[in-house]
Amino acid sequence: MSAESDAELFRALRRTWEDLDPAPADLVDRMVAAVATADLSREYALLTLVSQTDLAAVRGDADALTLQFSDGTASVLVHVVPAESGLRRVDGWVDAPAVSIELEQDGRSWTTEPEHGRFAFEGVPAGMTRLRVVLAETTDAGAPADLRTPRFEV
Amino acid sequence: MGGMTATDPSHVRDDPDDDGRPVGDASIWDRAAAAFTRWRGGDTRAMDDLVRLMTPVLWHVVRAYGLERSLAEDVVQTTWLTLVRRYESIAEDRAVAGWLTTCARREAWRTAKAHQRVRATEDVEIEPHLPAEVSAEDRAQLADSDSRLWRAVGILDERCRRLLRIVAFEERPDYARIAQDLAMPVGSIGPTRQRCLAKLRTALTGDGWTGDGWTGDVS
Repeated sequence: MSAESDAELFRALRRTWEDLDPAPADLVDRMVAAVATADLSREYALLTLVSQTDLAAVRGDADALTLQFSDGTASVLVHVVPAESGLRRVDGWVDAPAVSIELEQDGRSWTTEPEHGRFAFEGVPAGMTRLRVVLAETTDAGAPADLRTPRFEV
Repeated sequence: MGGMTATDPSHVRDDPDDDGRPVGDASIWDRAAAAFTRWRGGDTRAMDDLVRLMTPVLWHVVRAYGLERSLAEDVVQTTWLTLVRRYESIAEDRAVAGWLTTCARREAWRTAKAHQRVRATEDVEIEPHLPAEVSAEDRAQLADSDSRLWRAVGILDERCRRLLRIVAFEERPDYARIAQDLAMPVGSIGPTRQRCLAKLRTALTGDGWTGDGWTGDVS
């Protein structure tokens, strides 16, 4: 088959994917806004998932999960275990000077204060979750005010 | 990203049918490079052009990894924020589009691996989201060719589907990286791509595809 007919087929495939699974209508605008904010100041740092360990095989727990997030400077370690009634317990540790930790789910949120970087949330419903770490004020220019994890499922 | 030439940045949003392949004298990749050059030169609005140009491409590349939509959005955002933080590591401006798609694939792959309950790509909601301005006739035509193509794609295995989607949206896919993601030897990507295309073509030919479009296609 010729390169042109391959190209034609790829063109048709692109059109089909664009029609059937388009990017959300407001995604571009939100990305423009996110980049503009990040470009001007580092109000917050978005952490990325560095590693994920499924401890189930090791410990025999069905859903124990350890996640590590980092932005290259600070990192957050999260350990999730099942609790009663299908709820979750989320233990965490952050290596940056944090004043409070917020756990967000679909419009709900819980806040706790870490002790020596350690924090815990009990009775968290299963679902998509993200953490916001509010950092202590600093005089360092360009230092973020808070750290945010991407969404993860507990 | 061959044949880099200075391109007129005013073309950036002109062509809604742009498909990443050369259109006129500037492909989406060249225009991305031009926008990036302008941004580095101090034109802050050029970043908006780059984001508008590449976000839809990144979306499809990320979705090829089977991530659900909210996770895919996060990966696209992470990709942009990584660019803002690390753009200085991009030695050549014209490499920016490839840098972005590589970053997005790496992040998508990591995220997909970390989420055991990732839904398979084929579970993507199939109801068509068609542009509102398309006429009813065109919509019927488009919906029909979409559904035929979608059916044919559905016959392929997951590896084929992922590979074809990535290749369809990237100009020069990084075969070494894709090979690693799909757990395939790098030398087999080219032949696999041809095998996947051949399978797709066989399925389509039985359904009216002529190689230049659909039989009776008005366009």
